[in-house]
Amino acid sequence: MIIELKKFGTTLVSRPSGKEAWLAFQPTLMDITENEEVVVDFDGVIVLTPSWADEFLTPLVARYKDKVKLRNTDNASTKATLDILGNIK
Amino acid sequence: MPKKLISISEAAKQVGASIDTLRRWDKSYRLPSIRIGPRGHRFYNQEDINGFLRNDSSVAKQWAISPNAELLSSDVYCPTRDIFQARLEKLQSVLQGKTPDSSVSLLCAITGEIGNNSFDHNIGNWPDVGGVYFSYNLRNRNIVLADRGLGILKTLKRVKPELGNAGEALKAAFTETISGRFPEARGNGLKFVRSVITRNPFTLSFQTGDALLDLKEDDEDIVVSWVEEQIRGCIAVIGFELSI
Repeated sequence: MIIELKKFGTTLVSRPSGKEAWLAFQPTLMDITENEEVVVDFDGVIVLTPSWADEFLTPLVARYKDKVKLRNTDNASTKATLDILGNIK
Repeated sequence: MPKKLISISEAAKQVGASIDTLRRWDKSYRLPSIRIGPRGHRFYNQEDINGFLRNDSSVAKQWAISPNAELLSSDVYCPTRDIFQARLEKLQSVLQGKTPDSSVSLLCAITGEIGNNSFDHNIGNWPDVGGVYFSYNLRNRNIVLADRGLGILKTLKRVKPELGNAGEALKAAFTETISGRFPEARGNGLKFVRSVITRNPFTLSFQTGDALLDLKEDDEDIVVSWVEEQIRGCIAVIGFELSI
């Protein structure tokens, strides 16, 4: 499965919006099969903060662990956010 | 010597706002004009514009400090998170093309973290007026945020009772993964802000209580100084450079 983060917005900043994204996406996540990769695509995201990411990416990685792959992470705030969260590779 | 008058379009250019915004600020007395001629065209004293441009942070500080919060104009006051988010996206579009994309991204991210922190830590507990002051000024190359919340000491004391003063609390907030919202696992926000400021050509001045933190690129240590004027909540001034 490919999760295109820009579909949640391009300025991903607050915890409540990250939490809402996570909750709203649960039915879609149920389609992931046992050995399927979960690709998170950051293409198009202009602003990302640790607050938003901690509500969406942290639980995603906690659930799917090594199956989560990150793509197009070259945006400056995306890089800085992933750097500070640390547990997400 | 007569005062130098400038047109509304020149004033708008200098202030970094639209002519319509200036008309609104005139009506709300935030930036009064001088009406000249039979049709009452608006002109501005250059001195007034200079003063206006200098005073963003002092307006915010005055609001944060005063015992009774004066009413802020709607273009700087964000009573809710949604309004703050909308203005943050406006800042993003204002900065685009005037500073590298990486700076737009990072400045909006740290502004978003600081502003949302005010909401995160005071929701349900605002002592009087909720929400944040949020303005930006391309002329002064700064972004100003303030709140009349509980302040970092009171927030962090819930989880770290040994904190003795606002300075210790400020230092903890910027160096430790700590949050007053125990038992939730969070608390990276101001560490993220520190990391971005010290790795980029930005500056930050952050005050809570009587403790003030100044940070700039390449700073390794957190040095807190003490100021006379105490504020209960927080005020942050982010400085940046434009490439135009």
